[in-house]
Amino acid sequence: MSSLKQLFGGGLRQYGMVLALLALLAYFQIATGGLVLTPSNAQNIIIGNSYILILAIGMVLVIIAGHIDLSVGSVAAVTGIIVAIALRDWGIPWWAGILLGLVVGAVIGAWQGFWVAYVGIPGFITTLAGMMLFRGLNQRIGHSSTVPVPEELQRIGAGYLWEWGPNTGLNNSTLLLGVLAIVAVVWSEMRRRARATRLGLDQPPLWVTVVRVAVVGAVIAYLTYLFGTGRYGTSFPIAGVVLVALVVLYNFVASRTIGGRHVYAVGGNRAAAALSGINIRRVNFFVMMNMSILAAVAGMVFVGRATASGPSDGNMWELDAIAAVFIGGAAVSGGVGTVVGSVIGGLVMAVLNNGLQLMGVGSDTTQIIKGLVLLVAVAFDVHSKVSGRPSIIGLIFPWLGKGKKSEGTPGTEEPAAEVPVSDGATSRH
Amino acid sequence: MKTKLATGLVALAAVGAMTLSGCGSSERGGDTPAEGGESAAAGFEDGAKIGVALPQKTSENWVLAENLFNDGLTEAGYEPIVQFANGGVSEQQNQIQAMVQQGVKVLVVGAIDGSQLGSQLKAAADQGIKVIAYDRLLQNTDAVDVYEAFDNFHVGELQGQSLLEGLKERKGEGPYNIELISGSPDDANSKPFFEGAMSILQPKIDDGTLVVKSGQTSQQQTATQGWEAENAQNRMDTILSGNYKDADLHGVLSPNDTLARAALTSAKQAGKDVPVLTGQDSEVESVKSIMAGVQYSTIYKDTRELVAATIDAVDAYKAGEEPEVNDTESYDNGVKVVPANLLEPVIVTKENAEETYAGDPTLEDIFK
Repeated sequence: MSSLKQLFGGGLRQYGMVLALLALLAYFQIATGGLVLTPSNAQNIIIGNSYILILAIGMVLVIIAGHIDLSVGSVAAVTGIIVAIALRDWGIPWWAGILLGLVVGAVIGAWQGFWVAYVGIPGFITTLAGMMLFRGLNQRIGHSSTVPVPEELQRIGAGYLWEWGPNTGLNNSTLLLGVLAIVAVVWSEMRRRARATRLGLDQPPLWVTVVRVAVVGAVIAYLTYLFGTGRYGTSFPIAGVVLVALVVLYNFVASRTIGGRHVYAVGGNRAAAALSGINIRRVNFFVMMNMSILAAVAGMVFVGRATASGPSDGNMWELDAIAAVFIGGAAVSGGVGTVVGSVIGGLVMAVLNNGLQLMGVGSDTTQIIKGLVLLVAVAFDVHSKVSGRPSIIGLIFPWLGKGKKSEGTPGTEEPAAEVPVSDGATSRH
Repeated sequence: MKTKLATGLVALAAVGAMTLSGCGSSERGGDTPAEGGESAAAGFEDGAKIGVALPQKTSENWVLAENLFNDGLTEAGYEPIVQFANGGVSEQQNQIQAMVQQGVKVLVVGAIDGSQLGSQLKAAADQGIKVIAYDRLLQNTDAVDVYEAFDNFHVGELQGQSLLEGLKERKGEGPYNIELISGSPDDANSKPFFEGAMSILQPKIDDGTLVVKSGQTSQQQTATQGWEAENAQNRMDTILSGNYKDADLHGVLSPNDTLARAALTSAKQAGKDVPVLTGQDSEVESVKSIMAGVQYSTIYKDTRELVAATIDAVDAYKAGEEPEVNDTESYDNGVKVVPANLLEPVIVTKENAEETYAGDPTLEDIFK
């Protein structure tokens, strides 16, 4: 059993979600008569959900650190309107508009990070205030009207990579990306084995590595084929490239950098992290600011896709992002979760949405189903996690769960030890 | 060991099977896309799928439209796909993409925000799908073929006219104090409503017959975000407490029934007499109010007529022809002038209410 676990290399939870995704794809492929796994539909799924997935990348770090961010939709909306108006009225080039959007995201993130990290207001409250504040700002700045954006930004949100080179029957940009991805996977596996050998570590047998690489390679090859054989002029969407780049970057940051590991530490056990010398304030500030920057990116991608920035953009996006993160395996109590898991969770929701729409199911029924899926996914989380810490639910509603002594359920007693932490951040919740 | 190997092989087989199933779906093959205009001559066959993308299911006339489209299209021999986008613009975008994916021949779009559907409409047009803008104009795109709606500028004119008549009838001699309300700024229809009304009212404001005490006379100042009653009521409360402490409010131009009732509530709570109110949509509450002598007028836009006209347009496309239009100049959506088929709205007051609503399933019951 252990080599099988090594084959799949992740927690049971993450493995479970990938299986769920495959099951959904298979079900809808059959139920819609083959409409799901077509190039144009696959491209639609990516384009139509990339902004939520980008939000999920940032949101997972926030949730791992033990906070939550409710303002992301409003931040995305206000960034969208500022960029749209700047591009229209100041005549700046499109890339300057994007830089402006990132700066706006950083400023907002610094603002929220300040309140959360240095003043100590819980993230829930700060970002709830932010949600209202930035929604109002969005409507004020844009006078609640819809502002169109130029071609180049539209291309980023809804456009495709270039066609070039010899006729291979596929879009060559997509082919190139697929080849690069496979090479990267093979190379990183070889490096991992080489390093393990050099350090004298216990390794899984060679066949495990080969099968793993083969499976991943086959999946990448299939996806390359799927995205590359769309109508002439289409390819793996640019929004998808942005998404994949961000996933690779943040996966690296979360699992391989000191800053990333600090986030997990703070979320996992705040007092211990503080006593180990981690600067809690800086970590909190970083996750909040990072979230707002990613929200700005998501806002710009969405505005590009929608060809215009509208007054009701960003409504309810935070809930979709949070749902994606929890379905993807983050623990309600913080300290657990992965970037890739959240993206898979987001894709589960996206495929569900897409499949139901292809079947012609109404908007109301779709909402009901999505709500149930989220509930069931978190139910698994509660039952498979062995955690005694108060959860987010427990933090918000401290009166829930008082008197219940069952282990592993949210809202359990056991408050974190009231250790006075040196940099003044209290563990008061 | 055997079970482990077996599980690993099953996983590989699953991936392999999906790969094979995907193999048949290449959309390439050297074809260039966009046979757009040429295929218009060909039309399409019976039993074709028609996609209808409606906005939020928030008012009576949209619910009615859903049923009418389902019944009417089925009767005309098509397969309708009618969806509401309660989740907002992004849901509507995804629904339109899904409809294109399902192979619809004609797309009828009642947009939540007519300027944010450009990419999806372009994708539809590239595949030769005809796009009909239903009731709300689709902006900033050339991927729209015809606009089916009631003449919204004329609606505004009728509202303005009926406000003047109501004032003369109920409020004695001028000058009259009035206030103006306009619709949501992101709804393309708010502008023609307001401009139509102002074309009648502005001359009277200029010559002193009408006085707008708050001074708010532009569309932006008078806007009601999201067409929400609470926004109109809040604004009215502020205007009344600021400008009407010792004066009477004689009339309010309201673009629809919901906002008219909001203005009425505001006036009542401020202790003012009932002003002359205009409206639109012939909502049940407002029709009752008109019959009781409170609200002065509303507009009747028979949804049945609009849906029938839209289905006629679908039939025309099926036969490979262009649908009937009666206005090819007024509706410039920012990229092209969209040919429009405009229907006549009817102004309804207490006098003609009963005969106007005879035959309307929801409203005729009020008179029984």
